[in-house]
Amino acid sequence: MKYWLRRAGAELRNEVLVLPSRTLVLLWVVAVLALPLVYGDAYVLRILTMTCIFAIFAASWDLLAGYTGQVNFGHALFFGAGAYTSGLLSLKLGLSPWLTIWAGAAVALALGFLVGYLCLRLRGSYLSLATLAFPLIALGLLFAFPDFSGGELGISGLRRLMVTPVANYYVAAISMLAIVFGLWLLADSKFGIVLHAIRDDEVAARASGINTLQYKMTVFAIAGAAAGFAGALFAHYLRVAGPSTLEVALSFQVVIWGIFGGVATIYGPVAAVFILYPLTEWLGSIPGVGELRLLIFAVIVLLVLLFMPRGLAPWVRDKIETQCPRCKQRNGSWKIVCRLCGAALQTQVTRAQRLVGHQ
Amino acid sequence: MLQDILVTGLVNGGVYALLAIGFSLIFGVARIVNIAHTAFYMLAAYCFYTLLVKTGLGYLLSGLISVGAVTLLSVVCYRLVIEPVREHEAAVLIATIALALVFQELMLYTFGGHFLGIPSTLDGSVRFLGVSIPYQRLLILVVAGAMLVLVWFVLYHTRLGLAIRATANDLEVANLMGMNVHRVAMATVAISVALAAVAGVVVAPVYVVDPFMWLAPLVTMLAIVVLGGLGSMKGSLIGALIIGYVEAITVFAVPAGAYLKGAVALLIMVIVLLARPEGLFGVAFEEER
Amino acid sequence: MLRTVIVGLVALGFACGAKAQTIKIAILGPMAFVQGEHHWNGAEMARDEINKGGGVNVGGKRMRIELVRADTNEIQSVPDATNAVERVITRDKVDFLIGGFRSEAVLAMQEVAMDYKKLFLGVGAAHSKLGLNVEQNYERYKYWFRVSPTKDVDLARTLFAVMGSIGQQIRNDLKTDTPKVAILAEKAVWTEGLVAAAQKNLPALKMEVVGLWQPSAVATDVTAELSAIDRAGAHIVFTMLSGPVGISVGRQMGERNMKAVAWGINVEGQKEEFWSAAAGKAQFVSTLDTYAEVEYTPKTIAFVKAYKERFKKAPTYTAATYDAIMMLRDAIEAEGSTNADKIVGHIEKAEHIGTGAVATFDKRHDLVWAVGKTSGIAVQWQDGKKVPFWPPNVKGMQPFKMPAR
Repeated sequence: MKYWLRRAGAELRNEVLVLPSRTLVLLWVVAVLALPLVYGDAYVLRILTMTCIFAIFAASWDLLAGYTGQVNFGHALFFGAGAYTSGLLSLKLGLSPWLTIWAGAAVALALGFLVGYLCLRLRGSYLSLATLAFPLIALGLLFAFPDFSGGELGISGLRRLMVTPVANYYVAAISMLAIVFGLWLLADSKFGIVLHAIRDDEVAARASGINTLQYKMTVFAIAGAAAGFAGALFAHYLRVAGPSTLEVALSFQVVIWGIFGGVATIYGPVAAVFILYPLTEWLGSIPGVGELRLLIFAVIVLLVLLFMPRGLAPWVRDKIETQCPRCKQRNGSWKIVCRLCGAALQTQVTRAQRLVGHQ
Repeated sequence: MLQDILVTGLVNGGVYALLAIGFSLIFGVARIVNIAHTAFYMLAAYCFYTLLVKTGLGYLLSGLISVGAVTLLSVVCYRLVIEPVREHEAAVLIATIALALVFQELMLYTFGGHFLGIPSTLDGSVRFLGVSIPYQRLLILVVAGAMLVLVWFVLYHTRLGLAIRATANDLEVANLMGMNVHRVAMATVAISVALAAVAGVVVAPVYVVDPFMWLAPLVTMLAIVVLGGLGSMKGSLIGALIIGYVEAITVFAVPAGAYLKGAVALLIMVIVLLARPEGLFGVAFEEER
Repeated sequence: MLRTVIVGLVALGFACGAKAQTIKIAILGPMAFVQGEHHWNGAEMARDEINKGGGVNVGGKRMRIELVRADTNEIQSVPDATNAVERVITRDKVDFLIGGFRSEAVLAMQEVAMDYKKLFLGVGAAHSKLGLNVEQNYERYKYWFRVSPTKDVDLARTLFAVMGSIGQQIRNDLKTDTPKVAILAEKAVWTEGLVAAAQKNLPALKMEVVGLWQPSAVATDVTAELSAIDRAGAHIVFTMLSGPVGISVGRQMGERNMKAVAWGINVEGQKEEFWSAAAGKAQFVSTLDTYAEVEYTPKTIAFVKAYKERFKKAPTYTAATYDAIMMLRDAIEAEGSTNADKIVGHIEKAEHIGTGAVATFDKRHDLVWAVGKTSGIAVQWQDGKKVPFWPPNVKGMQPFKMPAR
């Protein structure tokens, strides 16, 4: 036991606390988990539960768009598929929501494979605009069978996963942490490197022997499954699964979160959701300002884009960390000597290194 | 019923064509997916409404001022918002989305969420092949045709058009040849948004004006442009007619399924893309290495 | 000196105490849109009238009404609406909730309100499911009442009653035995039942159904549908429209000089702005409505006049927040407390004479339908004005007009 504690302490000191970005992440995880102990207000818990759900949604989009370059303008399809599947199964068949959310994720996974397959030959903007169509076609189908899908009202009267707001919050928060870390680990692994290769130059990747088609479809499926899971959580939290889960506005919203936070980072869009969603909600509650909140949101996005065109997270990260010119590992930006190889950090070269960019 | 389909498809196709050519132009030349294209169309409609109803200037004058004002605004927006982030494709994308949202909210704030109706420029209708066509729709067809001819003339018979086509073909070489690429991009943006503004002035009286009117035409227009091939003027025109006819057929053949016309149009687009990934007449872009 | 201080402190105490003696009511609606605007206006009129009269008598104590304006933004986002409900309950600590408009959102809002056992009076959403919840799980949902409008299936009964009288007028004027009816219903869950009922009842009323067209609720172009309807030779276009498609129908029918007359539900047609939104072309479009300057109930005319004077426009059905607040006031004063369970019991049994209806509630906490009491009225747009024409026995009704042939 003591060994594990010492091991954990050593890991913490040597791996996490040496870098400001990782320390921030640790603090954030602690804050997310400890929140209900500090601030048990039902309203705040509601906002943060929604934030966690949307964070899963945004992270799944980033895996798809950032890492393989398939900018998906119809990501709401998976969100809505998860919501409707889980809702329909739990309502019509009376199954427990704990089972049906996995079913929702599974259906979204299958849809991910389908959409991925259909979009295999499409590139760039063609792919983006084609994906825009899918949720709208799904909406048409749902409206065509209103007895089954509830038409424009959707399905209502769904059961919650847990009873108390605090319990529901923890379900959302722990799912979010698990999925986001899972996605991040996936993106940080060899799988992620292959995805980068596919995004940068698909022809070269294929020439190197990588089965790019399989990778692209798999990523669509994984991203779809995560988004579907988020959709199912959403449906059971609000107790209603309606056509609003498939709207164009929702797809656009996740694109904004993704790019605002920084594509190809996973943690970027999550940060974007945690900053922007509570902010817009808070703005909405101020009388007088409330009706302008979408305007303020759009203006903030525009301003941030002007100053941080690569997104918020990469910009912040570049401010607090630098890359060592010799061993290419990251260090806190105040450091004079690299923590791993001892090379001098603060020289004239540093600025040029910043331009080379992140890993 | 056949005459209904023929005439309705043509008229609606003309409406879509007007919106699609502008979008296609800006994508083909500047490689910008301008999500705010239909938002400019909305701004022009509101401007036209205000000038016409509140200040009582005539149709022609209100229309000209609206088109001019919106075009000017677009150039300003381009300089302030798009140009600084030109290199980051992703950022340009959400910059245009954010811009569209800003316009939507400004209109919502100024005019409220009410639906407004712009008085038709031309009243009355004519019967053609047994189908009643309001004069306003014929006006739209005529204006669409005129705009197409104008754009064709500018692109193929003026120096500016030559520059636009050159930068569309190969941006870097055009730059090396001494063309001011930024100016050309701005001119393209201006022409494209002017087309959208003209659409706003002639088309908006046929539809309802509200702050969310930019979303539905956006989807249809994207479907058309993708179907016809991004960057191809001819493709957009033919795509517009195809989508116009598909929608007309859906409504006439399956009246109880009229609400599906949007979904069917998108389905057609997806099917075409499966067969031809670049759209019907599109150009496959070589990725820059 | 000390006495002045003590008197001052006591007075301060009274003032603070007095400020705390309010009944807080949240008015929930899409405030940037017409529906929310009327929600708020109707509520303000009720609040001002009650407070000017000294407030509500709660078991001997006088309490003022304080309104909390909550923008649900439900038309654009359902989670925003539920966030707003949670906020007004936990942050603003309101006692009662009134409002709602978009059925999908109100279903979610109802869940939150029932979680906290707060009385929620619906003014705006017609979907039957809201009442069905009360019947299926009374203990949980009993705090919900639908003050306006009647549930969607009851709207059908009014529609067919009026349809019968229009049909008769057509038979007399046009000397035709079976008037032809084209059903133009937006594709939506709320129209499903109505469409089926129409297809069954119209032949029974000796009218022929020439076809069913179902555009999308947000369609802006119905020329194709209207062309086909023209071709089918319909006399009446039976509309079931709640979205902006209603404006397009009115305008495009006028532009094409269609000989058919539109009757049915056209929610956009109930608004004052409809005439200008249809660019002055929607002559003879008729629709079900709630408010007009006729003596539907003894209080209607006075209310509509006062509303027009204060807000410079006529009220739409969401202004029935006025009736909701008055109903609450009557219940509180009768029971002598603001306890939710007691008020529920009172409203269930009482008959409330409101401005839009004489309301009694059934076991689903929906309005009990009756002509002249909760059926609403029928209005027709003639030359830029909404002219009421049904029920004929109410004072102030005018004749129904048809397009010239």
